[in-house]
Amino acid sequence: MKDRRERSFRAARAALPFATLALLFFVPEIAGGGSIVYSTCVTIAIFAVMAYGADAILSYLGEVSLGHTIFWAGGGYAAALLSTRLAWDGWLTALAAVVVGVSLAAILGLATLRTREFVFSLVTYAAAIVAFEIVFNWQFLGGSDGVVGIPLLTLTSPVGDFTGGSNEELWPVAYALLALSILFIHRFRRSRLGQEALMAQMNPDLAMGLGVNIQKVRLMVFVLSAVPTALAGWLYAFQRAYVGPDMFEAYFLVFMLTAIILPGRRVLFGPVLGTAIVIVQQTFFSIGGDGDKIILGTLLVLVLIVWPSGLIGAFRFALRRLHR
Amino acid sequence: MILVQQFINGLVLGSGYALIALGWTVLLGAARLVNFAHGQLYMLGAFVAWFVMEQAGVPYFVSIPVSVLAVALLGAFMQASMTRLVMEQNLTSLMIVTLGFGYMLTGGAAILFGGAPQTLDSPLQGMAVRTGGVWFTLQDVLILACALVLFAAVWLVLNRTRIGAMVRAIAEDPKLAQLFGINAPLVYLGIFVFEAATVALAATLVAPRTPILTSMGFEEVILTFMIVVLGGIGSVGGSLAAGFGLGMFTAFFGTFVSPAYTTAAAFGFVLVLLSVRPKGLARR
Repeated sequence: MKDRRERSFRAARAALPFATLALLFFVPEIAGGGSIVYSTCVTIAIFAVMAYGADAILSYLGEVSLGHTIFWAGGGYAAALLSTRLAWDGWLTALAAVVVGVSLAAILGLATLRTREFVFSLVTYAAAIVAFEIVFNWQFLGGSDGVVGIPLLTLTSPVGDFTGGSNEELWPVAYALLALSILFIHRFRRSRLGQEALMAQMNPDLAMGLGVNIQKVRLMVFVLSAVPTALAGWLYAFQRAYVGPDMFEAYFLVFMLTAIILPGRRVLFGPVLGTAIVIVQQTFFSIGGDGDKIILGTLLVLVLIVWPSGLIGAFRFALRRLHR
Repeated sequence: MILVQQFINGLVLGSGYALIALGWTVLLGAARLVNFAHGQLYMLGAFVAWFVMEQAGVPYFVSIPVSVLAVALLGAFMQASMTRLVMEQNLTSLMIVTLGFGYMLTGGAAILFGGAPQTLDSPLQGMAVRTGGVWFTLQDVLILACALVLFAAVWLVLNRTRIGAMVRAIAEDPKLAQLFGINAPLVYLGIFVFEAATVALAATLVAPRTPILTSMGFEEVILTFMIVVLGGIGSVGGSLAAGFGLGMFTAFFGTFVSPAYTTAAAFGFVLVLLSVRPKGLARR
């Protein structure tokens, strides 16, 4: 009897992430619909997907990648340039975004293969600033003006064609991308690669003793992590109908880190929760662009200094206290 | 003659880079700490000096100590709030925390000083020396002189004094150093304050050469990072050499190839070097 209850409890626990994920689809409707709700939700989905890429590095590899804006902008620019100049549709530009993101990550990953800790962060950070400089100065990529006039997102399929004219229409795509990213991280956590990454972070000597090729694991995780971030950039380009060198701004970097750290690291739904909190603050409770910068920075600093396990960690701590 | 001129430019640029990187070098080499708000401290150093010159009407040379003191105080506050992370040597968290501080400072400075570009006015910047077809300003001479004197002083303190020995002991093993009665948190505080003060000083000296913006922090530090990595992490002499090297590279590449891609080219060089000699660059 007890055994059965235990089993059903476990099954419920295993199903919980999927149920939560399914529920997320209805959030804009529950929140009342309307264009501002939809645009906020699409933005949250896009930014959360962007953060999930960095999450794979920060939570499971234990490194701080300050170069993820490269993949974010890479995806955005791939979508912008190919849709405006070659009239590629949604599928092709998405594929191109992934290819661009993965290639850039492979180059940067190989170059930083044997760097650790702050050297790794420094080099990825420097790479992002240099990428910004190149994009800003290269007229072929639109230079400092960026790329304007990106057409509406179109996705053709056997069941019908899709056009993303408004944020409400974009929501299913944004949601699908978010769901895929969460499933991807869920799968990654349980995969051999995810386990090896965690082991390489927690106990590198043990990992090596067990025959884990740490450099290979690091490179694989780094390359994989570029995929969600690049796809987020892809959708961002269509949502804004514009990309520019501002995609390299430190804002996105600090945003990704805050979205991960604020709820707590290694929490499956953490980045989407963190993203939602910050975007809702900036959309509905903004105190001006510079004030919001202070808020974002303060959140990041406070969590790490006062309560490093984040909001979820605090919540779990409170639950345990109540249980006693 | 253009070669000589570019050599002088490279010398001045390089000593500026080295000055900006000095605090980071000591922080990294001696304390094994990182501060990603370094660029914002540079920005603040320049803006505090500008602000007191504008508002209080004090002369340039008085604004320098004011700015150094203000930024040093800020550094003390930052370090005090991070003491636990520092004692745990939790580098990942420290990186992110200092990045967060940097972002706060960017936002705060924009509110306080406005978003427009400003000029930090040094009287020496207007005094040019022209001789034999080359020219430089007295500000350039001041930068070069300060870089050489400060680097020599830091090298002497680290290698020839008791304070230096204490700092080196902490870098080697903070816990063991504490057993020998060294107050590790205090030494860390001192190093961090030194870092903040030197970058503020560097800012007041170097910033008069270019317009200043409150958003310049994130990009300003890029060369510091390269210098620190190139110079062999934490090596004082190495940083000075790397600073001059990068300065020369910037001057010549900017003149003869392309000024827009100078940083990119320098970084490409650093990347190649890192993939060829990843461990040879780090001291440990």
